[in-house]
Order: sequence, then C-alpha cells, then structure tokens
Amino acid sequence: MRRVLQSVPLLVIISLLMFALLHLVPGGPLSAYLENPNVRPEDITRLRAALGLDRSLGVQYLSWLGAFVRGDWGYSIADGRPVLGRLVERIPATVELVGASSLLALAVALPAGILAAVHRGFDRASSVVAIAGISLPVFWFGLVLQLVFAITLGWFPSSGRASFGSTGFADRVAHLILPVAVLAAVQAAAWSRYLRRAMIQVLARPFIRAARTRGIRERDVVLRHALPNALAPFVTVVLLDAAMMASGAVVTESVFAWPGVGSLFTEALVKRDYPVLMALLLCGAIAVMALNLVADLAVRAIDPRIREDA
Amino acid sequence: MVRRSLIIRALVAPTLLALMSSCAGERRGSGPSNELLIVGYDREPDTMNRYATHILEDIESCVVEGLVTNDERMNIVPVLALEVPTVANGGVRLRTDGGMDVVWKLRPGVKWHDGAPHTSADVKFTVDAINKGDWKPESVDGFDRISSVDTPDSLTAVVHYREIYAPYALQFVRGTLPRHLLLERDLNTANDYNRAPLGTGPYRVAEWRTGEYILLERVPGYWRGTTYPKIQRILFRFLTNTTTRINLLKSGEVHLVALVGWDKVRELNGIDGVRLNRVIGNGYEHVTLNQKHFPPFADLRVRRALAHAVDRDLLVRTILDGQVDVVNGPVQPLSPAYEPNVTTYAFDPTKSRALLSEAGWEPGADGIRVKDGQRLAFTLITQAGFAIRESVAQALQQAFRDVGVDATVRLMDGTSISGVWFSGEFDAMLHWWQMGADPELTLFFAGDRTPPAGRNIDYLKDDALTALLYRSDRTADIAARNEVLRAVQRRIAELAPEIFLYNTSKVDAVPARLRNFTGNPTNAGPFWNVHLWELAPP
Repeated sequence: MRRVLQSVPLLVIISLLMFALLHLVPGGPLSAYLENPNVRPEDITRLRAALGLDRSLGVQYLSWLGAFVRGDWGYSIADGRPVLGRLVERIPATVELVGASSLLALAVALPAGILAAVHRGFDRASSVVAIAGISLPVFWFGLVLQLVFAITLGWFPSSGRASFGSTGFADRVAHLILPVAVLAAVQAAAWSRYLRRAMIQVLARPFIRAARTRGIRERDVVLRHALPNALAPFVTVVLLDAAMMASGAVVTESVFAWPGVGSLFTEALVKRDYPVLMALLLCGAIAVMALNLVADLAVRAIDPRIREDA
Repeated sequence: MVRRSLIIRALVAPTLLALMSSCAGERRGSGPSNELLIVGYDREPDTMNRYATHILEDIESCVVEGLVTNDERMNIVPVLALEVPTVANGGVRLRTDGGMDVVWKLRPGVKWHDGAPHTSADVKFTVDAINKGDWKPESVDGFDRISSVDTPDSLTAVVHYREIYAPYALQFVRGTLPRHLLLERDLNTANDYNRAPLGTGPYRVAEWRTGEYILLERVPGYWRGTTYPKIQRILFRFLTNTTTRINLLKSGEVHLVALVGWDKVRELNGIDGVRLNRVIGNGYEHVTLNQKHFPPFADLRVRRALAHAVDRDLLVRTILDGQVDVVNGPVQPLSPAYEPNVTTYAFDPTKSRALLSEAGWEPGADGIRVKDGQRLAFTLITQAGFAIRESVAQALQQAFRDVGVDATVRLMDGTSISGVWFSGEFDAMLHWWQMGADPELTLFFAGDRTPPAGRNIDYLKDDALTALLYRSDRTADIAARNEVLRAVQRRIAELAPEIFLYNTSKVDAVPARLRNFTGNPTNAGPFWNVHLWELAPP
C-alpha cells in the first residue's frame, strides 16, 4: 500500500514532464490543417479556440490533470471520440501480441539460458545467435520476415490480426506468427543471455559444490538447486521487459498493421493528439510501476531469504 | 529422448502445414473482383463526416455525395444538383446591395439510404448547422458569408450571400447533412452518423473495425440506376507503413493503393495485374523564399538570380524520372484559369551571377557572396523521409553554390515543419502546396495574408498584386474571374516570389482489369466516379 501511495507524486511529476516534452516538439494537433487547401486561416483560429488550445500551457495542463484525476480522460482531438474508449479497444490486440511473444520468448530463453550456462559448446553457438538477435533492428527484421515468408513464399499472412471475413482460430494464429517471431526473437536473445549469466554466478557458489559432493545428480543440481536461485533476478527483468515490450511493439505493430496500442501511439504522435498521447504515456508509466510491484512480490514468493528480511 | 522429439515433430509439423495452407490458399485465390475490391489505405479516417474530417474524403465520398464534384479534367460537374449555377444560366444573381443569390436546382428522385427524399430542406439544414457555431466542422469558408437559405420548393434552394463569393460553385462539394436524422442533434457527438453517415451515394458503411478496416457495401436502388455501382463491396484496409502497403500490393493481398509515392514508382513497374494510373495533381513543388526572415530575398534581383541558378529540366529528367512537368506558376495547365504566357526563368548561371553582382553581392574569400559584411547564406528546410525531396534539396544546394550562394539543408519531420512554416521562422523551404479545386490565390500571395491570416509565407507585399487578387475574389462571373486570375499569374511570375519547380503527379496503383478508373487531380480524389468502376473478366 505504501508503495502505491509513493507512486502518486511520481506519476504527477511524470505527467508534467510528458506534457512539457510533448509541447516542446514543434507542430500541434492543427498542423495537419495548415496545408489543407480546404481549411482557411480563420478556421484554424476558430478550431484552436474550440479545442482550448489557445489557453496558456499551465492552464491546459491543470485542466487536463484535474479531469484525468476525476476519471475524465477527455476526447481525442483527431476523431472526437472518448480517449478511454479508444485506448480500451486497442488493448486486447496488444495483450495478445505481447503475451504470445513473451511466452514464446520464455519458452526459448529458459532452456537456452540454462543450457548455455552448463554446456560450453552450446554456449558458443547460442551467444552468436543471441547477439545477432539483440542487434537486429526490429523494423528491418519485420520487413524482411514479411518479404520472405509472406510475399515470396506465401506461407503466412503478411499483416493484420485476421483475414477479412474469417473468424477461424487457425487464421488468427497464422496472423500472429510473423509479428510474434519478430518480438520474441529480440526478447528471447536478451533473456537467455541474462539467465545464462545468473546461472553461471549461482553455479559458482559454495552450496552448489556442497550439493555436488552430496552426490546429487547434476541435472537436479542445475534445475532444483541453481535454477530457483537464478530465477529471482530473472523474473524481475522479464516482468519489466514485458511492460517495455508494449513500446517495442510500436514498431512491430506498424510494420504488421497490428491494431494495438502501439499503432494508436504512432498515429496519435503523428497527429499530436495530446489527450490520447498523455493517456498512453501515463498508462505506460503506470504499467511499468505496477509490474515492478508484481516483480517484487513474485521474487518474494520465489526467494525465501527476501521474505525473511522483510 | 529420441521418441519424444519424434512425437513433437509429428504433432507440430502438420499443425504448421495446416496453418500455412489455410491462409496461403485464401490469399492466392482472392484477386480483385466485382464481389470485393481491397484498397490499401494509408491512414484510418478520423471521422466519416465529410464536413469534419481533415484528411482526404476518399472513403466518405463513396457514401456521401456533393451537389457537385470535380472530374478528372478539373471541371466542376453536377452530382446531386441538376446543373452548376452560373451568371450565364441565371443560377447566380448579383444583388444591388453587393450581395449575391445562388439558386441550386436539385436532382429529382434522389433518396437518402433510408428511403427519405433528398430535398432543399437538407441544404438549408446544412447551412444552419454549420453557422449555428456549436459544432467543429473542418471549415466554415463561404458558409460564414451566407445570410439565409430559402426553399421555395422541395427541389430548389436559394442561397443568399452577404457579399460576392467567387468559389460559390464548390460550396456544397461535401454534400448535405440529412435533416430528418440530425435535427436537434449535437453533431460533435453524433457518433452514429459520424462513424456511418447516412448518404445518397453508391455505398454505405457496413463495418468499421477500428485500427483494421472500413467495409463499404453496395446500396441497392442507387439513384443512377439499378446497375450501379458494379462492385459489391470495397474494403479499405488501414496500412500506415508505406513498405507494408507496397508489399501487400505485390502479394495480391490488397488490390489498389491510391497515391503511391513517386519514389516507389520504379519498384511497382511491372507487377503482374497492376496498372499505374498517373494524373498531374493540382499542386506544385517550389522553394519558398521568406523575405521577412531572410531580408536579402526582398531584393527582386536576388530572387530572380536564384531562379536562374536551377536547372529544373535536369531535376525532372533525373531525380523525378520525368514523372512531372516543369511549371512557371501556381496554377496548373488543366485549370480553366491557367495563364501560359508568363515571365520564365531559364537555367542560366551566368545571368544568375550577373544579377547577384548587380544587387551588390560579390564573391568573398570562400566563394560565397558577401554584401556589407553579410554572407549570402541561408537554411533550406524540407521534409525528412521523402527521398525525392531530400535529393532535390541537395541538388538545389549544389546549384546555389555554383553561383556563390550557400544553402544549408535541414530536414524536419512533417508535423514539425508545419509548425515552423506557420510561425514564419525559416529562411527558405522546399515543399509543395496542394491547391484547392477553386483557383483562388489570395491566401498564398496577398500582402495581408501572411500567417496566421493566410499562407503567404514568401511574405511578399505587392500592392498591385494584392488589389488584383481581391478583385478576383469579388468577381462572380467565372470567365471574367479567370481573366483576372490570369493577370494575377503574370504579375506573380514577374515578381518571382518563390522558385517554381514542377507540378505534382498523382500515381494510383490499380488492378489492370479495373475499368473506368481515371484518377483525379483535385482533392475530389480517385474515388470520385467509383460507381462506374468495374472489373473486366480475367
């Protein structure tokens, strides 16, 4: 509870920073109108006043904050619909994408990280793959996968969340494969390296040697004695990364026309749709804080030493 | 161990194969047809309300028709109106008090999609809704000059203007609002209408799946006849990423992509079943010379010198692959207001250097010209990520350097650059203006139309030109007005306020079998005649 209360002033400061940064970037929500031959300068003045953009920044911020705290997230400048509604309708797609990617990345990273810690040959091979995975620009990797597997080979759909008119489960899964592969590749690479290092550190500790001298099978030494100890820091990283992955999905969602929060963010940023951007950024900050809290609780559950300290 | 991996393989392989074949099969079989045409669209509309949207009304115009539209030759043609009112046909009457009346005769027998008749009451309701002031339409231009609308009968609307308003013919290009549906409604929040408007057009919105697509379906009983439109359903898929859009066109997952970037044309040539339809757009690329922010541009000789320094033919032949034409003014040859006989500035570096010397700018130690201790050096801003423009900016930089002028190129993202030019905080800018279908030039060149009152970002002040421009706005007779606009163009060319480069080209990638697709130079957009489109048998 104390942690939750502590985060409130932090969120206010973050929101102030976000607001200031957004307004420091040149251009505003009416930029799109400036070059539109159908819109006259008189119209721009009229719209600026109608949207409240002619008020001082301080007043705009305070009125936004006041409304936000009361649960009124305002209306999108771009399409006049409620911000909350616009956000909520995008969440399922992003949760689906990030969730599937995280599961796949974990499924790869866990065995790869453990094996790399105990098997020198595998370690060499996997480190080459992992470094490649970490260094791949998501944007480029996505387009290449699209070009090879969707355009040239025609194995998977190139974009979107489902085929038009199709409600089949197989179709949905097929649409997930390429974007998930992109997101998971980067994450699995990073996570496997992290777990490998954590495992190596734990395996060098005296209690492991003690376990081995007691004649415990090597497999049990690794999985029952070393792994739980290495997992505590690993879980923290995974949970925080999952929150961050929603931002990594900005690029992936754009390449694969995935109708999630990331594409909404790109769209809102281009249009300088301040109410939508503020809501997205603040939700991002809240998600990171919440998962941080979850990570602490999870570590406590995994690691008895921390429970006792508390 | 071995047995387990075999089992996994046995399970995984068929699943993957099934997945692959299920979607590949579907995709390969779905070419464009009169059943379904899939459009790869670069953005999701903000609203389907034509008066409120601030992007092109491509999708909207399939649903909501204007009283008129612009055809592929830029002519104003009637749609829901019987004819375009003019002074000559008695549709426009000039009043002695300086105002004017425009009589719109509506086409009989037109019904809204719910069966209610389309009448002059809808015209009146539209004007009233916009002028009431509690709604945020994109533009109120022209409407703010209307004092009232009379409806002597259900098919005649007489629009009374307080003053002469020359672009009156395009007043209702965005159509009308259905009175019977929207009376007493708050249009800002009427999301049922704003997301799926009631129209009279060949299509209606069947489904809008946010972030994914809008599906239009054919309306039975369309007023042009039961055989129109020919295509049953049109699916607009939102694909913001340009490369993705092109990739999907190649794979056949989308059939039509409107407004392909010029730099993608080479890549798209020769795709099976795709035809590139090109029309010259109603816009022009130029270098704005901001006299206020960089005072040396206020000297006519400097402006002319810079114009002579640029080999525009070479730019068009090389960087632009000959897709556009060199222009000498802001009005395009297709427009009835176009003036061909204007002062031109041929590529002539010698003349350019002579003009600069005459203006007192002499080469300094580093080759850049100097006058009273000031170097002739400025910053040229342009939009980042637009490959052709970036190359042209570099070519211009080289051309200017050859005559002793130093231009530093600065790239900015599209939204930022709008803010910068609107504030006037730049020296020179390489960009285009997409012009409205009406040939008005006042906003761009009148002395009192600098931001925020207009788009005169050359900060040009010429009294003779300003007087001509306002005269063109107060001339209701179309032919007489075009005469004034021709004089305007001659004066602009003499003044060389900006470096006119070339016009814009609108390239649409369409199915090779699609009949009656013409494209459109104006903002009426390529869907202006969608009711005629038809896929020929393969």
